[in-house]
Amino acid sequence: MLFSEALGRSVVRTDTASTVGRVSDYVVDPRLPGVVALILSKTSSQGSALPWPNIIAFGVDAVTVPSAAAVVEPDPYLAELAGKPHTLLHKRVLTTSGVQLGTVLDVDFDPTIGRLAALLLEQGPIDAARLLGVGSYAVMVRA
Amino acid sequence: MSILLRSSEINKLPVVTFAGEDIAQVKDIMYAAHGGQIGGFTLNGRGMFSGPLKTALPWESVVGLGPDAVVIRDEGALTPTESLLAAMQSGGPSAGDILGSQVLTDDGAALGVVVDVVIEVADGGGGQADVVGYEIDPAEGVGRGTNRMLIPLPDTMSASGEYLMVPAAAREFVTDDLAGFGAAVDDFRAHLRGQR
Repeated sequence: MLFSEALGRSVVRTDTASTVGRVSDYVVDPRLPGVVALILSKTSSQGSALPWPNIIAFGVDAVTVPSAAAVVEPDPYLAELAGKPHTLLHKRVLTTSGVQLGTVLDVDFDPTIGRLAALLLEQGPIDAARLLGVGSYAVMVRA
Repeated sequence: MSILLRSSEINKLPVVTFAGEDIAQVKDIMYAAHGGQIGGFTLNGRGMFSGPLKTALPWESVVGLGPDAVVIRDEGALTPTESLLAAMQSGGPSAGDILGSQVLTDDGAALGVVVDVVIEVADGGGGQADVVGYEIDPAEGVGRGTNRMLIPLPDTMSASGEYLMVPAAAREFVTDDLAGFGAAVDDFRAHLRGQR
């Protein structure tokens, strides 16, 4: 599944069948590499982070969670990875040889476990296993 | 596969960590081994108003040098500028001082003035970054118009900061474009070895 496909998707709690928010961003840990949480918009509760383990299913039409308690304030680990400097989309991709490959147009990930499969660039896909880090300047990949 | 870069292209390149942060940019190249290879970089901060940093980057800590960035593992790669400068004091003119000096063949013909240094980086860094040639603004007598030309460098050279001596044979290996220059350097060095 692509990052762009799932943006704006409803997050629904199964105990009351009501919407708790919409997917507005992804928190990625480049060391895995995988999605470790979703950032939600239009939430009714206090928090805005949905850690990946709290998700029941990342479905094709909606993301399901057991209750409103699944949505929390980001803990220090998530807070460090969340935020603009660590987003993947529209960022330049640099290899460890100092060559710029292009910019990230989209990201392909496995919705069952959150693992990243590939970074999609104009020039073609890059295996996500090459991912080293995501910083304010660039997405670093192994040469 | 190695790549060729001009020293003017290396100046101002961002220094990027594995975490994807640009922590500095190249201010100047420091040359080692009598100007024959890159020893490290002095650094400026990033952004328009940031000045020179008190830390420098030794070549041993560089993971990759390419056309778009200098890549290092993390901030730990930087060392105080003064200690690195002291280690570089090997004597003799450095390639940086060569800029602006006259290129003279050993049969006494002036070829032009050095305007840039051509550096060969072994595959993805980690190896050495050797000075393999110079870009020169040709003298009128050479009859090549005003197009800049690239001249390959022998493994050993003599330079004073005023003149740069090259074998007369170097003339035959002068090229116009950087793309074909790698082959010209190899041919020229093979030619010199054949003479000895």
